[in-house]
Amino acid sequence: MTGVRAVHKALNKLGLAGIEVSSRHQAVVLEGEVESWDQYVAAGYAAAGKGFRGVVNDIQVNGLQGDTPYLPPDRDNSLEGEDFDAVIIGGGVVGCAVARELTRWNLRIALVEKEDDVAKQASSRNNGMIHPGLAPSRGTKKLDYNLRGNEMYSQAAAELGFELKRCGSLVLLEKPWYRLFQPAIKAWATKKGVPGIESISRQSVQQREPRVTSRQQGALFLPSTGVVAPYKVTMAYAENAVENGAQVFLNTAVLGFDMDRDRIRGVITNRGVLQSGVVINAAGVWADRVAAYAHDRFFTIHGRKGTIAILDKNTSSLQKYVLGMPQLVSKTHSKGGGVNPTVEGNLLMGPNAVEVPHREDWGTTPQDMEYLVQRLMGLNTSLKRGDIITYFAGVRACTFEEDFIIQPSDSVQNLVHAAGIQSPGLASAPAIAQDVAQMAVNILQRRREVKPNPTFRPQRRVVPDLSRLSFSERAELIRKNPAYGRIVCRCEVISEGEIVDAINGPVPATNLDAIKRRVRAGMGRCQGGFCTPSLVEIVARETGLKPQEVCKGRPGSNLLAAETKAPGREANV
Amino acid sequence: MSSMESWDVIVIGAGPAGLAAALAAHGAGARVCIVEREVRPGGILKQCIHDGFGLVRFEQKLSGPEYAWHDIRAVRDAGIQLYTDTFLLQLEREEGFVLTLQNKERAVFQLKARALVAATGCRERTSRQVFIYGQRPAGVYTAGTVQRLINIQGYLPGRRCVILGSGDIGLIMARRLTLEGAEVVGVYEIKAEPSGLSRNIVQCLEDYNIPLHLAQTVTAVHGSERVEGVSICRVGPDLRPIPGTEEYIPCDTLILSVGLIPENDILRPLGVELDRRTGGPRVDQRLHSNVPGLFSCGNALHVNDLVDYVSESGETAGKAAAEFALGGRKTPQRVPLLARGNIQYVVPQYLDLEHNAPAVIYFRGECTLSRVEMHLLSGEKVLMRRRYAVIRPPEMERVVLNPAELTESNEIIISLGG
Repeated sequence: MTGVRAVHKALNKLGLAGIEVSSRHQAVVLEGEVESWDQYVAAGYAAAGKGFRGVVNDIQVNGLQGDTPYLPPDRDNSLEGEDFDAVIIGGGVVGCAVARELTRWNLRIALVEKEDDVAKQASSRNNGMIHPGLAPSRGTKKLDYNLRGNEMYSQAAAELGFELKRCGSLVLLEKPWYRLFQPAIKAWATKKGVPGIESISRQSVQQREPRVTSRQQGALFLPSTGVVAPYKVTMAYAENAVENGAQVFLNTAVLGFDMDRDRIRGVITNRGVLQSGVVINAAGVWADRVAAYAHDRFFTIHGRKGTIAILDKNTSSLQKYVLGMPQLVSKTHSKGGGVNPTVEGNLLMGPNAVEVPHREDWGTTPQDMEYLVQRLMGLNTSLKRGDIITYFAGVRACTFEEDFIIQPSDSVQNLVHAAGIQSPGLASAPAIAQDVAQMAVNILQRRREVKPNPTFRPQRRVVPDLSRLSFSERAELIRKNPAYGRIVCRCEVISEGEIVDAINGPVPATNLDAIKRRVRAGMGRCQGGFCTPSLVEIVARETGLKPQEVCKGRPGSNLLAAETKAPGREANV
Repeated sequence: MSSMESWDVIVIGAGPAGLAAALAAHGAGARVCIVEREVRPGGILKQCIHDGFGLVRFEQKLSGPEYAWHDIRAVRDAGIQLYTDTFLLQLEREEGFVLTLQNKERAVFQLKARALVAATGCRERTSRQVFIYGQRPAGVYTAGTVQRLINIQGYLPGRRCVILGSGDIGLIMARRLTLEGAEVVGVYEIKAEPSGLSRNIVQCLEDYNIPLHLAQTVTAVHGSERVEGVSICRVGPDLRPIPGTEEYIPCDTLILSVGLIPENDILRPLGVELDRRTGGPRVDQRLHSNVPGLFSCGNALHVNDLVDYVSESGETAGKAAAEFALGGRKTPQRVPLLARGNIQYVVPQYLDLEHNAPAVIYFRGECTLSRVEMHLLSGEKVLMRRRYAVIRPPEMERVVLNPAELTESNEIIISLGG
């Protein structure tokens, strides 16, 4: 059954008969009031899959404030009147990859990001997994983009110079009777197009991964699963985009559109109004808000938080594969996380999945940690709570349909949506970017000819990463530039030269978290205890900021309150 | 990297332990060099501008830099090679030890040693390692980082501070921040008793009217850009937060003094045996680890509360390393020294029965105990007994065992009892 009546019926079942249901532009709209966030979420899901284009969930939750995005404090007119062919809203992995794909064409491209850096939200707050495509169902965009994206990663890694470890994953089976389904799951996955899937026995799992939980009853092995550092992938796309002529504007928030009937004429930001031929909505958890600015709201994003814990590098030898033990029968919309290797040599565990009313709620809680420790840590029997060096949370941008929205707008001539991108969004990003860029070019071509960019260079100019050099290469580099000879971050062994490169890179890092995202300084087991004081001085020296103006991340996150002594002190102690 | 410089003893770290070790090794006739990752020697003493150092060793109240200067000058006078601003990239064992290092002048180079003294100190436990939840704003620092920012770089990290943990560095920073014009709202300690030295409670908190809250901890940090406040909670005897006792304290800085972790990660590839309780290598009384030729001292061996004992262990390790390198060594005949009743840990963890010099034994009690007796037993035989009016975990105890007392046995047990 489909249509408004079907939605009503589903809501009645949930005891939410008071919710008003209507249809607007082929989307179903829910209005009314409920008592809890869980009810809000349940109502949204009840309305999904009933033959509409999407679910617009406008239900109010009693006692809950409306959710609003962080906006940068700056107000100026520095971008007023700037004219671009394409404006990309959002500097996550999708936005940055779209920007890079668009630079294959001879276009003036701007990427606007409200945060102080790219990869600030879900694109740095995830487990870095390049999924094999096992989870998404046939007929979904997720499946198509995941399979294509996974395959494209090898080339992307080679061109853009980021690390990709195709370690493969073991999907562990928990119940003995699951084994009966092993052949069926394998056949189903193979039919979907998941490459190389193997069904392996309990003993074989034990051999491949000796520290695996004794609860496992066999596994599916997926050789195409990989891991990357998601923030480095995002950065690589952004930097290559900039090298090929795109411009990245940080601390720049989109506040609305100047509409000319069914066309976006101007993109209104806190830095003035930008003109644009085409606009790409890659705004992550706020993509529905951006759609609303163009009167094209046919979906609602709700946030699903996931917490991830990073383990000390001393654990790196304890596990080779991505390990997960999903619940085959599950009411949640997540596979429940696992324990992964990372490209840097740590292990990580997570993420869990918790529906949250605030989309920028990155706070961690004891409950989340308990889930990780109780439910995931035991997948590898050698891991201890004391191995945890840090933890953080991210929020997935979910639609109630649980599928990606990747399409030109049906109602706005020059808008392309890349929305509802959550897991496996990172894995899908290269493929999404390819399609979205093509959609944008098609839109531009309606009005004028779009020519290829004759100077496009797919290879990123990669600055030295000393950890990937041999000792003799390292020595040669230090002889050329002694700044590479001084180690600033002791835990991750990051030199001053690498930090200076990050500060002066194509997308400059002007705060400590931004440096961390590029070169890992402060990401090790002391969590910046030793290097923070040096980093503050290096940033101040390189950028001309006063030390007390140097921030950890966003404006306002100043690390120091004041200088206590007159200048002339001895540095570098 | 072709012609490899070769030394009898290489000391890793030029803090108080490393300096003392180098001097002792030099004094014993070894060719010794020191490698240090910072620009200047002295280790953490460089930033400890308060006094109270050297009471045992020099019978004087020195500042940290003054204390360090004593040994830095001696190292210079002795002409001991000191590589500063030099980072150890890789440590391998092959006919002794091969260290691959880098610095600005020599780029990447290798040094070879017959014996190695690891005097690598410790790092601070972080907010995440004590499981504080919430966002990750600016303004959460470990006490040692704050000390460096204020005392060496001349920066004030915040204006209204909460300190978690009553470890000595935290107490000292409470006073230091107050003197620099910041407000210290309070020091919160999860345990029912302070973890720092009594003299620091008096001199750093009581003298400045800074409240100390026992059996309370910080459970969450609030604020997304800069710290805006913290949640404080009372804890039960199990040290778990008691629900319903949360209190919000506005502040812009949270400073952690919640423990130190000996830094021995660089030694792991050598197969060194670590003590779960101290975090340092398991050693005999000459501070010799299970890896032949590898010695450990100072805070990398176990966290000390007085630098004087750090220097003492450096001397022991340096001298023993020199003897090892120069070939005067005998095959050790080790028996385990086991910490039992009411002993938190003991160093050394082995006694070498072949070594006939007084053995220094350091231990800490598990909890505060009054009128107790320490027993050192070899089978039925009492090797040593000593009465204590009070034993407090923050205060390390030190005894010296006469080698004449040591007899053939399978194990020696140290315990505290009534």
